[in-house]
Amino acid sequence: MSRAVRVTVYALLVLASALTILPLLYMVALSLQTEGETLSGEAVLIPDSPQWGNYATLFEEAPFANFIVNSLVVAGGITIAHLLFDPLVGYVFAKFDFPFRNTLFVAILATLMIPLFVRMIPLYVMMSNMGWLNSYQALIMPFLMDGFGIFLMRQFIQPIPDDLIHAGRVDGASEFTIYWRIVLPQAKPALAVLGLFTFIFQWNEFLWPLVATTTEEMRTIPVGLTLFNQEHFTLWHLTAAGSVIMFVPTALILIFSQRYFVRGIALTGLK
Amino acid sequence: MPLKTRDRSARFPRGLRRSRPLTLKARQARTAYLFLLPALVFFAVFFYMPIADIVNTSMHSGPQADEFNGLGNYVDAFDDPAARNSFVVTLLFAAGTTVGAIVLGLGLALLVNRPLRGRTVFRLALLVPYLTSVAVVGLLWRNILDPQLGILNRLLKEFDLPTQQWLNTDPLVTIIVITLWQIAGYTMILFLAGLQGIPEVYYEAAYIDGANSRQRFWRITVPLLAPTTLFVTVMAVISGLQAFGQAYIITNGGPADSTDLYVFHVFNVAFRSRDFGYSSALSVLLLIVIMVFTAVQLRAGRRREVQY
Repeated sequence: MSRAVRVTVYALLVLASALTILPLLYMVALSLQTEGETLSGEAVLIPDSPQWGNYATLFEEAPFANFIVNSLVVAGGITIAHLLFDPLVGYVFAKFDFPFRNTLFVAILATLMIPLFVRMIPLYVMMSNMGWLNSYQALIMPFLMDGFGIFLMRQFIQPIPDDLIHAGRVDGASEFTIYWRIVLPQAKPALAVLGLFTFIFQWNEFLWPLVATTTEEMRTIPVGLTLFNQEHFTLWHLTAAGSVIMFVPTALILIFSQRYFVRGIALTGLK
Repeated sequence: MPLKTRDRSARFPRGLRRSRPLTLKARQARTAYLFLLPALVFFAVFFYMPIADIVNTSMHSGPQADEFNGLGNYVDAFDDPAARNSFVVTLLFAAGTTVGAIVLGLGLALLVNRPLRGRTVFRLALLVPYLTSVAVVGLLWRNILDPQLGILNRLLKEFDLPTQQWLNTDPLVTIIVITLWQIAGYTMILFLAGLQGIPEVYYEAAYIDGANSRQRFWRITVPLLAPTTLFVTVMAVISGLQAFGQAYIITNGGPADSTDLYVFHVFNVAFRSRDFGYSSALSVLLLIVIMVFTAVQLRAGRRREVQY
């Protein structure tokens, strides 16, 4: 690369990254301003006197603690379910031979073609009939596993040598023990990637929690924050504070999990 | 215990033999179905039943969606100017976000694919918005673009430029740009994986043959990236057609229904007007559009598969 090209490439990348990151930094700045500052049209990137109290005020103005607990329970619960079921089902399709195997696998993969908006109305009616609306069941149950996670785990478990599994059988281990003790540990990197992505996307999910919750106490953060803003759209400093809190797990995962992404991708052989 | 090859019963050690010996195949099948049971129940109850249910509901009308109406809801949908407008708006939105995501994603991928110091940091920084909730993205940009108190107009004032009201003058373009801000990093990662899958040998050969960089891009990179481009296109169109949060959070479908995204429209018909029959029919129509589009795209992609 010539020097001129290198400088151009760097300039473009710095510009693109600035356009990406600056709005998010502005969100942090907004969360530290007084209400007056946010409404004056005098928005600044570095507030003179950062109002850390905004974060406390938010918990008084909205049931924000509930939002956080709900989001953690829902996103955490769905992630745990995925980590339990996706590899188990993936393992069966990778290593077992049984009647209708391919038919069932296609039937599961075909669910990837069924978007959430199609399930939204019937699931709402179903939950409503069961009296489950506005409950953790309603928020968690429709997402216990999915075709993508199962496909990913199947791809990952397929290369594990059959001899390992046979060795377990010869030693008299139960089928579940073989799965739990032999297969799962081999799939750790893929599990890490699956878990992180599942958590982030469920943490961010907006449409279903909006449909399935009816009281403020059951809202997840994205829904609670949006409705709070629609009611008090002048309280931008509090909206921004909530957005920053919402963003914390994502930032932590990004910072601490690079290693897993790199390892996971290297191990799946997708360079 | 010495193994006699002709003695079939000795193939499994005595301790493993059951009272009623099953063949290996039968045992495998039994274990497989046992492990699959929760998944089969789950996909039946939470995917296939809802599909059957929505098709059924779409043929009914009335406040309880219990009066059989045949294809009446579908006929209504084609005659309904609000639904037609919403469909056109959504097609434009999906087209805009897809073209933009391909151009930006490929452009950024070409940049971060170069052997630069710090490229990992750039890659991660550009990916951040994709991992941010549409709620946060929507609220943030609504504030930034606000004509009275937004920072963008303040910057324009600083430089004595006329202030803008993007969400009033070009609302659809504005939410397309905001969406691109959110997804460009993701398509960049997809294109990056595609670029790294192209064998270096081709570039070397072309270089030796005297091809300049533009020729190398159009004759090697673009054709060999076709599978990636196809995947990105299908994915971006499908998610563009299903966009909801942008309308709900940023524009509320306005001004004058110019950003009335289809799923937002369905949401309003279902949960604000409480018309489950009609909203179900609208959902099924979009599902059909998505399926037809995907099938056509994949077929076209298979025909143009690059052989090398």
